[in-house]
Amino acid sequence: MTKIILNGREVEADPKKPLIAACHANDAEVPHYCYHAGLTPVGSCRMCQVEVKQGEMPPRVVAACRTPVAEGMIVDTESPKAHETRRECLEFLLKNHPLDCPICDKAGECMLQDFTFDEGQAAARTDEPRRKLEKRKDLGDVIVLDQERCILCSRCVRFFDEVTGKMQLVIADRGAHSVVETFADRPLTGNYQGNVADLCPVGALTLKPFRFKARVWNLFKKASTCGECSRGCSITTEVLRGDEVKRFRPRYNADVNTWWMCDTGRFAFEHPNRADRLAGGQRRGYADSELISTEEALDQLADALGEHRAPVVIASPFLTVEEGAELLELCKQLGSEARFLSPAPNELGDEILHTGDPCPNRRGLTELGFAPVEAAEALELLAASKAALLVGERIGELVGTEGLAGLPTSLQLYVFDTNACLAPAAQLSIGVPDHTERLGTWVNVDGHRGKISAARSAPAGVRPLTSSLQTLRASIAGAEVTA
Amino acid sequence: MSMILIWLLITVACYGAVIGTAALMTFAERKVSAAMQYRYGPNRVGPFGLLQPLADGVKFIFKEEVIPAGANPWIFKLAPILTALPAMLAIAVIPFTGVIGTFEGTEVLGSIANPEIGILYVLAVTGVGVYGAILGGWASNSKYSLLGGLRASAQMVSYELSLILAVLAVVATTGSLNLHEIVAGQSGWFGWNVFSQPLAFVLFLVCSYAETNRHPFDFAECEPELVGGFHTEYSSMKFAMFFIGEYTAMVVMACLTTTLFFGGYLVPFWADAPWWMGLIAFGAKTSFFLLLFIWVRWTLPRFRYDQLMHLGWKVLFPLALINIFVTGLVISFGPGAN
Amino acid sequence: MVVVERKELSFLERIYFPAILKGLKITMSKMFAPRFTRQYPEEPLPTNEVTRGQPRLAVNPDDTIRCVSCGLCEAACPAYAITIDGHETERFIEREPERFDIDMLRCILCGFCEEACPKDAIYMSNELELADFSRAALVYDIEKLKRPVSALQDRIDYVKKINDRWQTSSST
Repeated sequence: MTKIILNGREVEADPKKPLIAACHANDAEVPHYCYHAGLTPVGSCRMCQVEVKQGEMPPRVVAACRTPVAEGMIVDTESPKAHETRRECLEFLLKNHPLDCPICDKAGECMLQDFTFDEGQAAARTDEPRRKLEKRKDLGDVIVLDQERCILCSRCVRFFDEVTGKMQLVIADRGAHSVVETFADRPLTGNYQGNVADLCPVGALTLKPFRFKARVWNLFKKASTCGECSRGCSITTEVLRGDEVKRFRPRYNADVNTWWMCDTGRFAFEHPNRADRLAGGQRRGYADSELISTEEALDQLADALGEHRAPVVIASPFLTVEEGAELLELCKQLGSEARFLSPAPNELGDEILHTGDPCPNRRGLTELGFAPVEAAEALELLAASKAALLVGERIGELVGTEGLAGLPTSLQLYVFDTNACLAPAAQLSIGVPDHTERLGTWVNVDGHRGKISAARSAPAGVRPLTSSLQTLRASIAGAEVTA
Repeated sequence: MSMILIWLLITVACYGAVIGTAALMTFAERKVSAAMQYRYGPNRVGPFGLLQPLADGVKFIFKEEVIPAGANPWIFKLAPILTALPAMLAIAVIPFTGVIGTFEGTEVLGSIANPEIGILYVLAVTGVGVYGAILGGWASNSKYSLLGGLRASAQMVSYELSLILAVLAVVATTGSLNLHEIVAGQSGWFGWNVFSQPLAFVLFLVCSYAETNRHPFDFAECEPELVGGFHTEYSSMKFAMFFIGEYTAMVVMACLTTTLFFGGYLVPFWADAPWWMGLIAFGAKTSFFLLLFIWVRWTLPRFRYDQLMHLGWKVLFPLALINIFVTGLVISFGPGAN
Repeated sequence: MVVVERKELSFLERIYFPAILKGLKITMSKMFAPRFTRQYPEEPLPTNEVTRGQPRLAVNPDDTIRCVSCGLCEAACPAYAITIDGHETERFIEREPERFDIDMLRCILCGFCEEACPKDAIYMSNELELADFSRAALVYDIEKLKRPVSALQDRIDYVKKINDRWQTSSST
């Protein structure tokens, strides 16, 4: 470790990292656009200038991202000279930046906005027209580029070069004509394009699914874990007005995903935002299915399970460790074998983050003592039994809707799922919260415990699975005692 | 047979006119008060808002009837009737006009009945009116109502005395209790009783305001102190009955003032005016006193209760006594005495 | 101690009648004085550009809405009356509201939305009347809020005048 003096305070700095990292690590705010801890510093934006005095030399202003730390360095991030230099750099960056913050999706989380506000120059001093460039350049399925807003920090370029290993974006042309482009206007490919929209310090790169849909300050943000593969990337779930999940964004976690996440997880809105959520219970009546309350449904389920010995129990791989433990207790009580559905690996796996295994809690459930069972195997088990309990988010879909629909009606099927099971064999469906609505822990492929947390409330009438299972166990036990 | 028909016709006409006037008075009250306060008053229902009383009536009918818990339901229901009925009964002897004509040898008069004791009858039935207020106040089982009822009874009893004494002076001058004869006695140059009995007129006027519970003597329903007085707990048609009773009493009092002091249906300077001219004259004179009721209400503030009693017993009552004494002296020993 | 000095009343004053007659004269004279009352639905309230009525959205002469659904009015609204969802358009202004609801029952006519708007899109109109048979009908959607710029011109000019008093030259 190297000792430097930062704003009059002696601090330890990592000599392998640039000066700006030492500043950030010690609560000294240094504005920056091109610098990103996960990428090679290039020093193109010049916003991170701080005043440095080394040895006998007079103090001078240097770019903190390209300056290595040296023993005895005296750094002042707040000196008037540094501020003045940064303000001047900012004025140049803003020279051609359009004033369309009201339209721009980045507004509210835009570094350009924040630092401009900090440096305090509200008005431009030029009246020349600004650069006219392409405002809606389509870069593939995920990203739209607004070249006018771009400040040429080259973070996106470096991301593709350094993280995915495929250099898909370049800064074309030179000097005042520089623009970010793909080679020969080919669309971007790969499963990690979405990250460049997060990286972009301004609103130049925007996500198509999120474009102009919501204002970022209206989103309720909650730290959680991604459920699309067994990697379990740390994410932030962002919900608009307690209702619709608008974004999943990566959250820095050195052990799991660092700064990034894949597009599969990023755009996994299909399940959280499905419209046919089951709020309470649904019972198959003589003519038609009818909606009942969760409590009523649990009563009926307890009665029905009391009649059968050892029904087949299959858990969803989305069950948290806590829910798994509760279900395990229930299995013991019913005398059933605890199994969880383990779908076949998909082809999305890669070397960066995605494991290809769509079970976010495989390791957690296996450690608890659940036995993996494939979908085809599960259907065979179900067809051969008289009663079965399917538990957890997405279980109907993972076993296979058609497969369930083909099951004989001699089977009494009871389902805990986010939506009602429509198979003829299904006697009772009970709604459960999905992974944006409940608390719990998933254990990822490397044994890292990822917390999931509720970014919104479940539909009214839905009870947490743990509480439902506890009630169920208590009423089955009570029935046995009275019998 | 036909006599009965004519009699029925007159009855319907008289009651129609008085109750219609009472209804119009509720409207006039609001219009005049509005005008005095730079407002317009009701002007939405019908032309100039003239159908407002009808709308109010419909509203009253459709309001919920509430009888308070602990109230005596029979007396509670009886009270509004007892308020409205005496005022209505008094109409029977009011001479609206003189002789209309002769039918089968009988004179058809401009009143429903013409008893020899007309004025006595009026005083008797209006005196019953106080029961409505006191019973309604008592039966409501509410402290405000009870206080209102007590006040009303005390006030009416006190002022009735002076009222009767004032009327007595007129009766003494005329020498008859028959209202038609009282009217006939006022014919001629300055024949109206108001000229011969000015003090009696003033006493009668003041007492009639107290008798009808009007400003400045409306202690029975004094809003700032007693919410609504004796009818605080009343709603719907029962409240409307109190209302009708109050306004009918006003009309009757205005008619009486006209009859006793302003020559009734006599037309000034036209001794043998036709009966319809008499009716118009009577209507005009009565209208002025009705207007005066409203006019005074929106001009004067309410008395204090002790001041009311002070005025009644220590001022009006002695004055009435002196008046009747002096009248008696003049009749017995004055220029016309025999 | 307060000593109240009561004036000794003369006989005329004590009998009270002259005062009553004087009062009657005053009330009667007022009966014929001009009325203050405004006959409301027939005589609407006079409004001018300073009137802060219900907020309305300005629509350009070419039928495009000025609002870009930036959400600043939504954020500024102290009564949480405004709800906006945006979507993309083909126009040069890439964004416009897909849903713009103002709950007129919550709106307190404070004018913060007008002040917050960076696009001169929302103005306090001179429309003040608000009546309907259900609460839902008083949540105005975008179609009910749209007004041509010409209808709001007085207010637009007024707001510009007021803003120019304290604003420095704009950075655009």
